[in-house]
Amino acid sequence: MFLRLLYESFARQRRRKLLAGLAILLGTTAVTAMLALATTIGDRIHQELAVYGANIVVTPKADQLAVKIGGVDIKPATGGAYLKESDLAKLKTIFWANNITGISPELPIKVDLSIYGGATANDLLGIGLWFDHPLTGGTMTGAPQLHPWWKIEGSWPKGPGQLVVGRALATKYNIHVPMRAGLAIPGAQNGIDDVVIYGILDSGDDSENKVFMTLNTAQNLNGTPDAISRVDISAQTKPEDAFARQDPDTLTPAKREIWYCRPYANSIAYQIREAIPGADAQQVRKVEQSEGTVLERISGLMWLISAAALLAAGFAVSAAMATAVLERRGEIGLMRSLGASRTAIALLFYAENGLLAIVAGAIGYLAGSALAYTLGAHIFSGVSTTHALNPVLLPIVVALALIVAIAGSTPSIRAALKQDPSAILRGDA
Amino acid sequence: MAEVVTTSLNENQTRAECAVIALEHVSREYTGRGASVRALDDATFSIVAGEWVAITGPSGSGKSTLVNMLGCLDRPTAGTLKIDGADLAAMSPTELDRFRADKIGFIFQQFHLIPYLSALENVMLAQYFHSMTDEKEARASLERVGMGHRAQHLPSELSGGEQQRVCIARALINNPPILLADEPTGNLDQANQKIVANLLKDLHQTGHTIVMVTHDPEMAALAQRKIALSHGKVFCHPIGGPVVSLRR
Ligand SMILES: Nc1ncnc2c1ncn2[C@@H]1O[C@H](COP(=O)(O)OP(=O)(O)OP(=O)(O)O)[C@@H](O)[C@H]1O
Ligand SMILES: [Mg+2]
Repeated sequence: MFLRLLYESFARQRRRKLLAGLAILLGTTAVTAMLALATTIGDRIHQELAVYGANIVVTPKADQLAVKIGGVDIKPATGGAYLKESDLAKLKTIFWANNITGISPELPIKVDLSIYGGATANDLLGIGLWFDHPLTGGTMTGAPQLHPWWKIEGSWPKGPGQLVVGRALATKYNIHVPMRAGLAIPGAQNGIDDVVIYGILDSGDDSENKVFMTLNTAQNLNGTPDAISRVDISAQTKPEDAFARQDPDTLTPAKREIWYCRPYANSIAYQIREAIPGADAQQVRKVEQSEGTVLERISGLMWLISAAALLAAGFAVSAAMATAVLERRGEIGLMRSLGASRTAIALLFYAENGLLAIVAGAIGYLAGSALAYTLGAHIFSGVSTTHALNPVLLPIVVALALIVAIAGSTPSIRAALKQDPSAILRGDA
Repeated sequence: MAEVVTTSLNENQTRAECAVIALEHVSREYTGRGASVRALDDATFSIVAGEWVAITGPSGSGKSTLVNMLGCLDRPTAGTLKIDGADLAAMSPTELDRFRADKIGFIFQQFHLIPYLSALENVMLAQYFHSMTDEKEARASLERVGMGHRAQHLPSELSGGEQQRVCIARALINNPPILLADEPTGNLDQANQKIVANLLKDLHQTGHTIVMVTHDPEMAALAQRKIALSHGKVFCHPIGGPVVSLRR
């Protein structure tokens, strides 16, 4: 009889149930998507970093006072020292050379850029970079490879006389591509070089205020051939563990050997320091940490959205239940007159809502998993290793749906049971 | 079936010990919205087992209020109400539900059948809330009111008189000693009123205590005793004829 009642009351008031069910469905969809993403986000960050950006940065040693380049002692005006571009070939000799997937050296210089028939921008930061430089194994490397989020309108510089400017500069000076311009070193005697701006860079950071040229162009303009002041390197590494953080110089020779032969970012950085004179190579954790904070914030936002979605679902259930109970007051009064206890009637309504919650929750679980899958594919393009369905989430999500449905329907059920059954019966008469 | 005895009772001597329903200074006051209405005012009377009592009175005189209290759906605000010897005030809500399921069968003017359940299921619903369903018994109860052949029909497929018969079958299914009928023929035509009247007569003959609210003098005449209400006050008519009581 209970099942019969449950079935009948479930089958009736369909529109209202559909609405309440839809609300639960949306709520659980959000929660499932959030949970599914949250559980995989950590793994994803690591995979992402293997693909995106540098994880080792090489700079001149801080205590390096001078570097001999071409037999000449250079003391850069910036107070920094230089590394040699030609030394980068030595990267091919280190133990984990084959794990290096990208190299991007750079040389910053000051430039004045005059737009013909327009304004002149003084003291801009110009950066010399590799754009398309051969790496071992026939692959090409350079700044665009290490900054996959960079977007170029037009094309990258291929030689002297070719420039790319950041989006901010382009907007400020009304630059379109291609456009002729004059490039000079501030205060230098050798005059203005004719250049063509071939591209505009969208990077989303302060690179949009810079001027980009080939490394050679920058070196020649600056009068410092072969000089570079920083190298970003991306290498395939083993995730850092406690052993990775050991200082190799304090380890026993045997342990040190093991440490050295593991592709930790630290070991590779160590080998780079050995290979390139005057170089300080350090593992970059900043990127990972900042990405981590961003993702933390995103998942915080997702929690908030999920909580809001569940709350909204609770209110929807509560509203649907309030009218449903109102419509069935007569029935409730009758059942009471037949000797039904409050518990028996509450059980019926709860069972009905619970059933709704289970159905809606299960569908929400499927929808949320699908959402997480597509979102995941969007956010982490290319790397989709998550399983579409995480079975662990199903009971969690259904339980949440049940809690929402029960909490949402409790006020109306309580109110209905508090009502004087005689008044309900009389109200009909 | 219990043995039916016909005796002439001396109201003052035997009534108290035979009473299945006993009211002492019972009042029911409705408060709220700034006003208080005394729907039942200091009612004292008793009804003995097997008695058929008609409650009459103008609209708003407190008849339904009285019936609801007899049916344990409502409690007095003052006075004591005992049913089958038990004081309702001493019972917890759960006990009251249990008590109602055991002792009371309701017959409503509006029938109050659940629209999505068949006649049979409506009867079985009362079994379900009482203890457990028994389809054979439920069918027998429908047979008894002459509705056996319509067991699978929904209330909307039945006439008013037929619905009332299903309602009576439902009231009888748990074999309660007391039947409460609030204007059982109020919504019925002459022919159906007759059928219902005959059913009630039958039930009275088999020993049920019947408390029936009615506006209809013809129906009221069937009862052994009339209790008239006016503005919440009770006027008990003397016993007209012999009281049929069930020896229990
Ligand atoms: N819940 C309530 N709150 C306030 N007053 C009420 C309530 N229920 C009934 N009353 C009042 O109590 C009085 C008696 O009502 P009751 O329903 O018992 O009358 P009745 O004799 O059954 O009338 P009718 O013949 O029209 O059914 C009426 O004045 C009514 O307005
Ligand atoms: Mg009434």
